[in-house]
Amino acid sequence: MFPTKQAYWVVVVLILILIFVSCILPRSDDSRAILLPVLDDPTVSFTIWFQVGSQNDPSGKEGLAALTGSLISSGATEVNDYKEILEKLYPLASEYSVHVDKEMTTLNGRSHIENLQEYFALLTDAYLRPDFNEGDFKRLKNDQLNYLEKTLRYASDEELCKEVLSEIIFTGTPYRHPVQGTVAGLQSITLDDVRSFYERFYIRGNARVALGGGYPSWLVERFEKTLEDLPSGQVNEESTVKPTQAEGRSVVLVQKDNADASISFGFPISVRRGERDFYALWIANSWLGEHRNSSGRLYNLIRGERGMNYGNYSYIEAFPQGGSRFMPPVNVARKQQMFQVWIRTLPNSQAQFALRAAVRQLVELIEKGMNATEFELTRDFLSKYYLHFAETTQMRLGYAVDDVFYGISGEGHLARFSEMMNSISLDEVNRALKKYLQHENMTITIITGEVKLLAEALREDLPSPVKYGIPKPVDVLEEDKLIETYPLKVRSVRIVPVEEIFEN
Amino acid sequence: MKKKVQRLLIVALTVILITIPIISSDGIFPYAIQTETLDNGLEVVLVSMNSGGLIAYWSIARVGSRDEYEENRTGFAHFFEHMMFRGTVAYPADVYNAITTSIGASTNAFTTDDLTAYHLSISPQDLEVVMEIESDRFQNLSYPEEMFQTEAGAVYGEYRKNRMNPFFVVAEAVYREAFSKHTYGHTAMGYEEDIKEMPKLFDYSKSFFERHYRPENTILLIVGPIDPKTTMRMIRNYYGEWEVGYKPPDIPREPPQTAERRIEVPYQGKSLPIVWISYKADAFNPEDRYYVANSLLCEMAFGRASEIYKKLVLEEQVIEFIQARQNTNRDPGLIDIVTRIKDPAKVEYVISEIDRVIAEFKSKTPETGRLQELKSRLKYNFLMGLNTPSNVARSLVRWLAVSGTHQVVNVLHETAEKITPEDVLSAARKYLVSQKRTVAVLKGAN
Repeated sequence: MFPTKQAYWVVVVLILILIFVSCILPRSDDSRAILLPVLDDPTVSFTIWFQVGSQNDPSGKEGLAALTGSLISSGATEVNDYKEILEKLYPLASEYSVHVDKEMTTLNGRSHIENLQEYFALLTDAYLRPDFNEGDFKRLKNDQLNYLEKTLRYASDEELCKEVLSEIIFTGTPYRHPVQGTVAGLQSITLDDVRSFYERFYIRGNARVALGGGYPSWLVERFEKTLEDLPSGQVNEESTVKPTQAEGRSVVLVQKDNADASISFGFPISVRRGERDFYALWIANSWLGEHRNSSGRLYNLIRGERGMNYGNYSYIEAFPQGGSRFMPPVNVARKQQMFQVWIRTLPNSQAQFALRAAVRQLVELIEKGMNATEFELTRDFLSKYYLHFAETTQMRLGYAVDDVFYGISGEGHLARFSEMMNSISLDEVNRALKKYLQHENMTITIITGEVKLLAEALREDLPSPVKYGIPKPVDVLEEDKLIETYPLKVRSVRIVPVEEIFEN
Repeated sequence: MKKKVQRLLIVALTVILITIPIISSDGIFPYAIQTETLDNGLEVVLVSMNSGGLIAYWSIARVGSRDEYEENRTGFAHFFEHMMFRGTVAYPADVYNAITTSIGASTNAFTTDDLTAYHLSISPQDLEVVMEIESDRFQNLSYPEEMFQTEAGAVYGEYRKNRMNPFFVVAEAVYREAFSKHTYGHTAMGYEEDIKEMPKLFDYSKSFFERHYRPENTILLIVGPIDPKTTMRMIRNYYGEWEVGYKPPDIPREPPQTAERRIEVPYQGKSLPIVWISYKADAFNPEDRYYVANSLLCEMAFGRASEIYKKLVLEEQVIEFIQARQNTNRDPGLIDIVTRIKDPAKVEYVISEIDRVIAEFKSKTPETGRLQELKSRLKYNFLMGLNTPSNVARSLVRWLAVSGTHQVVNVLHETAEKITPEDVLSAARKYLVSQKRTVAVLKGAN
């Protein structure tokens, strides 16, 4: 039938591609399931995406979306109490977890194929039949409160700093408060609030299922059908988040006894994943501050050449918990993003210098743009580096869900990313830099144990010479002279005690 | 959200959770392993794995904070890990970085008590260029003093970012108290006073490299879509000339502990109290039924399906979480039981509950069904963790480094399969002895 062996294999491969494409594309019926089959995978990955997030927290009940999510992932169902759930999941070595972000909530889980039936029953009970009992509510609300009052305020100044930056930039919008809520908001939440929130938002029209790995074909319909057991209801209206642009450079110093300095700064940006300019800006941002990577300019400027801290990075998309992950997270899709720079913890005496160095670098990048060598190296880097973004099926499912959120059709963001790296020009990158980034209006947040000294230095724009105590190359010292008197021209400095952060 | 909080806590802990592979006799490990020891002693482990399309390239130096036996040298193995990115004559740091950048590699490294691992995730076509630069830096590292001194600042920065974490604070204190002589008494990060002095140790850094970074003290682990024959030939070519010269460190032996130690650990920020109880354990020994049974015991007594978890976390709600693990160490290490207490007034009550559970495990055998469930959990946990080349490498690295050989995976599996409830009882009686423990309580400035 086939003239050559090669022809046979070409046909086989084409058939396999067709099967794959037919699985990942929306089917001709009304199926809305997102599917990523992996033939030799002995596990099955599940995601149920609910279009609800902390932006839907009622005023005065901040933290309600997160607490509702917690009760679904770590509470009883009408079928099993939570102890029984733990008992049943234990020999399967599986679990499920809920991740709540500003605009989306995902319930994620993974099972070995040998345990599929048992696991599937437990997973579906979690979102279809949550029990919402008093005991689970008290336990999880208390945990969430402790996270806000103790862990977020005290255990990592870097995460605290980024969260404060987000809160200030998004003041007056539904993004303002941390996903975990505010202390006062959480304290006022009742179990009835959780039940009402679930009934209002965990409805058929807000939910999508996503399935990946080596799942059997019967599972697709059965999984999707579970959504029919959710109530119908009023589907969420398209939300709008319009942050107010800062006027000038405004600084918020968070006063925390004995703290070294942790710094973040940023501003809202209007470009979004999927748009061509977004990928152009990604290239420039990667050159400036690729996350946890020694290739970035900010990393080399402050750490590599001066040894001031552990690293310095920049972002054009939300990147929560950056201290504990290397690759971009999934399911933190947001319609409104911000550009931000993260300067890791350094001595208070070097804070003003490091801030000057980073701002000066940003200004230079916007004004001069990238050169051809920098552009080509960064583009080549990203052409392969993106392969690490989604190494697991669970991560690929996450990207597929985000593609739907952003309305990216075809093969999705990662495929488009690869395609863009092959087609975007240096001119486009430099145009995008000028179009979306700026340096006049920004919010700067610093966690510090030296508020008075730092406030005065910033208000007066005092010089910030650095003493290394070790010999340094001449070119570094010459650049230091330019940095240490670089005018930051801060418009305002506000001081907030750490105990007041996230209170309301 | 609670799971998220707990995950953060777990990440914060500075010890490695042991997961034991329960592999059936017909070989459930899904990937072929090929090994070879080069003439110079370099141990090579190749795992063929086609899924994912990436290669995990791991160079594992069997050196860590355990080797820091000299005065005022705590944290040096970790600092030296940083210096390994500072270049050679052939590939200075900026050239090395330009190469890893141009091939889109994901690169990093970490240091623990017993090992320092350097890992890259790369595309298959870049294997040879990576082997060239990696074999070069392990044989020909060379950096100027200014670079060395500058990097010391970055290490201090790493310490600064960690020291606000209460789990970091309590771990540092409890290990210091538990070991009076052995180098396990300090964490891989080292003490602040030693970190401050690091810029002065340029000459020492050269001798450190010459003593520890030798082929007979190194394991090369490559996982992914590789052709084992071609890859092995390349390895012989790039690493074959590496000269031997490993000088084993003179690590002091820890005298037997004869009385319980208790410390209170102050914390500058606000925190719920953390209780950290460490019992003296044995060195990793996959053939020893008691050692392996003890790992299972930790999970049975304090895991998420344990009686104490249900009672204290779910019913009484006096703690946020509880967990226990026996560390996988070259020398006798610790069994750590860690919990965070919601009500500061309940600290002594929680310790008494931990003691009650231990007394029960020392007085009667656990149910056979419970042990079977745990073996099932370990089996699926192991299998589900093997989903990418990087994760396969990560699951093997500690066993390889601590034992020095890949055979450990099978040996550990065979021993674990044979563990009986009586072995668990014996392990509890052998290890969970109050005279051999250190109890630390961290209290925040509330």
